[in-house]
Amino acid sequence: MSLLEVTNLHAGYGPAEVLHGISLTVDAAEVVVVLGANGAGKTTTMRAIAGLIGRRGQVTVAGQSLPPGAPDAAVAAGLSLVPQGRGTFSKLTVEENLQVGAARRRDRAGIRTDIDRWYDVFPALASRTSQAAGTLSGGEQQMLAVARALMSRPTLLLCDEPSLGLAPLVVRSVFEILRQINADEGMAMLIVEQNAELALNLATRAYLLEVGEVVTSGAAATLRDSDAVRRAYLGY
Amino acid sequence: MQIFLDRLFDGISNGAIYAALALALVMVYRATGTINFAQGEMALFTTYLAWGLTTKHIPVAVCLLAATAAGFVLGAASERFLVRPIEKRSLLATLIVLLGLFSVLNASDGLIWGKGNQSMASLFPNKLSSYVSVFGARLYWANIGVWLLVAAVVAGMFAVFNGTRLGLHMRATANNRESAALTGIPVGRILMLGWGISAAIGAIAGVLFTPLTPDSLGLGEMFPLLIYASAAALFGGLDSPGGAVIAGLIIGIIEVMLPAYVPVIGGQLQEAIAFAAIVLVLLLRPQGLFGTREVERV
Repeated sequence: MSLLEVTNLHAGYGPAEVLHGISLTVDAAEVVVVLGANGAGKTTTMRAIAGLIGRRGQVTVAGQSLPPGAPDAAVAAGLSLVPQGRGTFSKLTVEENLQVGAARRRDRAGIRTDIDRWYDVFPALASRTSQAAGTLSGGEQQMLAVARALMSRPTLLLCDEPSLGLAPLVVRSVFEILRQINADEGMAMLIVEQNAELALNLATRAYLLEVGEVVTSGAAATLRDSDAVRRAYLGY
Repeated sequence: MQIFLDRLFDGISNGAIYAALALALVMVYRATGTINFAQGEMALFTTYLAWGLTTKHIPVAVCLLAATAAGFVLGAASERFLVRPIEKRSLLATLIVLLGLFSVLNASDGLIWGKGNQSMASLFPNKLSSYVSVFGARLYWANIGVWLLVAAVVAGMFAVFNGTRLGLHMRATANNRESAALTGIPVGRILMLGWGISAAIGAIAGVLFTPLTPDSLGLGEMFPLLIYASAAALFGGLDSPGGAVIAGLIIGIIEVMLPAYVPVIGGQLQEAIAFAAIVLVLLLRPQGLFGTREVERV
């Protein structure tokens, strides 16, 4: 049994169906990447799994089935999504953002320890604890979004385009930190990414999405060498 | 000096009531992104309820508590069963539904409690002789009572907003509903709570305001209040509770002072002042005195 099992997922917006039966799995401690062009349905997949939009099809985390359209149940099951565009609470301070990330936790001391820990990992945040999140740079906001998602102590972290709108150097450091967290914590990750090269380097396995369906999947190294992926996403 | 002080005291009392209602409007705006047009009528319904209880010789304090609880239920139920199913469709639909709620509540008041105006018993001593003299001006206990109770409500709300986990979750939900849902905050419950609290504040404002003037409890009582409170909320910045409170006080005082010292305005143009304030704010400073302009890096 995998940690995350998505079976025959259908989802969309209003009458427009975007996902036509997607199935994928993520094992414990594994990093899986979802590749695909604009409009392939990557973000919709993430939003449907996290319960932000309705869906048909089965989503289970550690064998436990998630009800559709219930993001709090997804968080309770150990899932945490870093949404596309970061979704930081712009009017709350950095510290408050992290506190909100622990909304479902009751262990005051543990929350404090975790906040300090992520300040260590992301020093840029440590020097801005009482600054409104909306005034941070794009890179800092991405770090904050990741740190906030980690505050719920997930067993599975979903990241939707963590590189979007960031300078290449910043992107590299975000991915380096993700790699570190995966190695240290054994935290499983499902990452949607346009930057295929970076993503495939981080991931163990990958899925390739085209117009709402999985067209290829396999080990990251295999996909990196496949002609289809190369031509479409790596540009050589 | 004496007359000036008399007017100032009246202005502050009205202003405190506007401030409370404006705070209620801001809470709903932050939760749902709409002005609750029915806010005044919710307050009127609960005030009638309290008045109905006072005629049964129940102590006013108990009636106030009952009205506050009823307000909470009315507000929470409106969010859950009227606003939530509609707001997904469009903002305009939500506004229309709230206008509908406005007229349904007003008509219900008339059906249940009749069309005539009523006087309501005060929570505080309000005989002609219950005042303290301040430089020759009369400061009635009823006024002091209104100030203190509104101040307590406002202070309580700020303590909740800024000092508790619940308040943090409410602010987070107001700021970004989707992200709040992603952290596992039960967003639906938070929204219901916000509407409930704001209608409860409105209920308190209604029960405090009505006894200040004899014969003032009538079907048309709350509409002008809603206008003043909306002006205050806009003036202070729709997303700023502190701004709403300060602007409410300012508008209450201006509304009393301006007609008194600028003869042209007189009694008839008072409400026009509130409208003028709304237009001026929208033209000159759309985000209000203390509101935030959306400044965000992407």
